[in-house]
Amino acid sequence: MGTVNISRKYTATQKTYLWAIFIGMKITFKRLLQGFFLRKNNTIQYPEERRDYSQRFRGMHFISVDKNKTENCTACYLCQTVCPAECIHIIADERDEDNNPDGVKKEKRPLSFDIDALRCCFCGFCEEACPKDAIKLSRNYELAVTTRDDAIYDLDFLKRDVKGRG
Amino acid sequence: MSNTTEIEIKMPKVDLNYSSFKKPVQVSADPAAKPNPKVTIDGKVYDFAPGDTIMQVAERYKIHEEIPRYCYHPGMPIAGSCRMCTVEVEKAPKLMTSCSTPAADGMVVHTRSEKVVKSRTGVMEFLLTNHPLDCPVCDKAGECELQDYNFEYGPMTSNFKEEKRVYEDSTTKKLSDKVTLNMNRCVHCERCVRFTDDVTKTSDLVMLNRGYKKELAAADEERGLFNDYQGCLTDFCPVGALTYNDFRFEKRVWFLEKKASICDRCSKGCNIEVHSEKDVVYRYMPIFNEQVNQHWMCDEGRSSYQSLSNPLRIISPLMKYQDALHSTSIETLLGSISKELQSASSVELVVGTDATCEEAAYLKEKMPEVIKNIRLSYYNGTNNVTTSKDDQKLDNLLRMKDKTANTKGVEETGLTALKNGEVSSEIAILFRSGRAGIPKMKADQKLILWGVWTQEEIKALPSKNILGVIAGLSTIEKIGSFKNTDGILQKFAPAIVHRGNGLSVKSVVSAWKSLK
Ligand code: SF4
Ligand code: SF4
Ligand code: SF4
Ligand code: SF4
Ligand code: FES
Repeated sequence: MGTVNISRKYTATQKTYLWAIFIGMKITFKRLLQGFFLRKNNTIQYPEERRDYSQRFRGMHFISVDKNKTENCTACYLCQTVCPAECIHIIADERDEDNNPDGVKKEKRPLSFDIDALRCCFCGFCEEACPKDAIKLSRNYELAVTTRDDAIYDLDFLKRDVKGRG
Repeated sequence: MSNTTEIEIKMPKVDLNYSSFKKPVQVSADPAAKPNPKVTIDGKVYDFAPGDTIMQVAERYKIHEEIPRYCYHPGMPIAGSCRMCTVEVEKAPKLMTSCSTPAADGMVVHTRSEKVVKSRTGVMEFLLTNHPLDCPVCDKAGECELQDYNFEYGPMTSNFKEEKRVYEDSTTKKLSDKVTLNMNRCVHCERCVRFTDDVTKTSDLVMLNRGYKKELAAADEERGLFNDYQGCLTDFCPVGALTYNDFRFEKRVWFLEKKASICDRCSKGCNIEVHSEKDVVYRYMPIFNEQVNQHWMCDEGRSSYQSLSNPLRIISPLMKYQDALHSTSIETLLGSISKELQSASSVELVVGTDATCEEAAYLKEKMPEVIKNIRLSYYNGTNNVTTSKDDQKLDNLLRMKDKTANTKGVEETGLTALKNGEVSSEIAILFRSGRAGIPKMKADQKLILWGVWTQEEIKALPSKNILGVIAGLSTIEKIGSFKNTDGILQKFAPAIVHRGNGLSVKSVVSAWKSLK
């Protein structure tokens, strides 16, 4: 891919930027004065205070579990297939017959299930595709990690307890 | 041989369950000849041969994909039990099953009329009443005829409110160590039963009970399935009732890339489809070829993909250094063995009969230029086969006694069989592609191994005096041709890219030449 150069015609006001700076400063001072004299806060004291996001907010993934703490995922690969960012990596396996109270319903299991959150675009397609309502996006938006490895969610992490949608 | 047929192995346009050997009927040029009977299908007139059923006429003109089917399979006798293939025949009081209704002169057939589509929807609804629809766990999903036809004809809703039928004992039942049955998914087409009755003639599958309780079982529960073509059951089972254990849960079929190649496990040379993702092979499936393997392939061949990704396979040149083999570059290896070869009193090259025709001819032509006074011969060594004359059928279908793919082809290059099956020169170079036997030898025979070898095979060699191993390509990684037991020359192209440091014969020989 080459570089595309685009030239635009700018008006005199646009060239000096002064008018734009003035508009910006106007908002800044308005908020400053509001804060000082009217005690009107425009920010919150995060992390002590938190915003309540919409129920439909799409944050950190989790995989729902049943009453035996077995994941609901059956490694059907539909999420991996649909994922536009190609960040889901599943390896399927047969579940141990003797430890499988659900029989044929859960005979297939994910041996490993990794989501690379660094690549994920939180589109929610995986949740939409899942026939077992296994993979879900919680409302947890605190995704910061200290190493890149921590941003790869493995099965044990995904199976963590999430109430409702978190 | 003058009557050689040459075939280039290509990916077929239609899938296995639709491939048929029926060809359009020849129209005689002689106006006085009796005209062929004709049938009209969807407004077009087709000539047919007397005895054809409507489905077979459609097959002749490659319009048979218009007609959905479960029980009909071009390689098996007709059953007419699923009612999916119904078509409307003008003047007939009711719909006819196209697979079993003989075509008649002047018949007018509609394959897509409103009545037909309604009937197919009805059949689909009935099939789905008891079907578990567990596509997420089902390995057939993606290549399932029930899915495909339901998408095309099926009702979007079901009127069935009752509990679905569950076969408690045969939900996940191993019919043998190769095939698993999930009876809940079965649509009772009985292709599998007819296959064991009429194709393998082993009759090791039966349908027990009737109606609602109709259940598939191995004829001898203790012995399970015992035919040598069990993988085929899983190819043509239209649903995920029969699944192949080696492939079970390994991969979703829609990720697989499909390339044509040839099976190198016996002298039949069955045409195969190599299913791989990122150059890792997940399974082989047969390709329909009327002259060679029809619709089938044996389980030994089907499982042979495992040898490709065998972790013990040698995929890098190895050189002897201080009594052990070490991985090295091809130039270093050839340099070191050339020295040994020059000082040796006699050298021989034994070409395994699993080499391609091109490889054998190339070695015969070029090796004398690289090593002076080299003796060349070929060796088969599987099942006591020495030459292609010893080859015979092992059963009524495909399997052959000669377990290498190209005995005929190697013989035709003019090489002679290894005397007494024993190497006698000071240094013997053994060239094989993982299939030919290993000749007899003295306990201190100096050896150079070439081609596809595994560490187990090297450990089992009678002699431990190995100067080096030149890693080569296996059949599906290379281009070439095999001449099968019936004298059919089949060409194939690489199906996957070799992911090691193995080299083709040509590049090894040219590296060898450029040393001097
Ligand atoms: S949210 Fe979208 S990008 Fe992220 S894992 Fe799911 S499908 Fe992939
Ligand atoms: S999370 Fe859902 S869509 Fe993804 S593999 Fe598991 S069952 Fe299938
Ligand atoms: S047999 Fe076909 S329809 Fe039935 S569960 Fe398997 S893929 Fe789905
Ligand atoms: S197991 Fe498969 S091939 Fe056999 S009757 Fe059932 S659906 Fe047909
Ligand atoms: S295909 Fe004709 S009845 Fe089954």
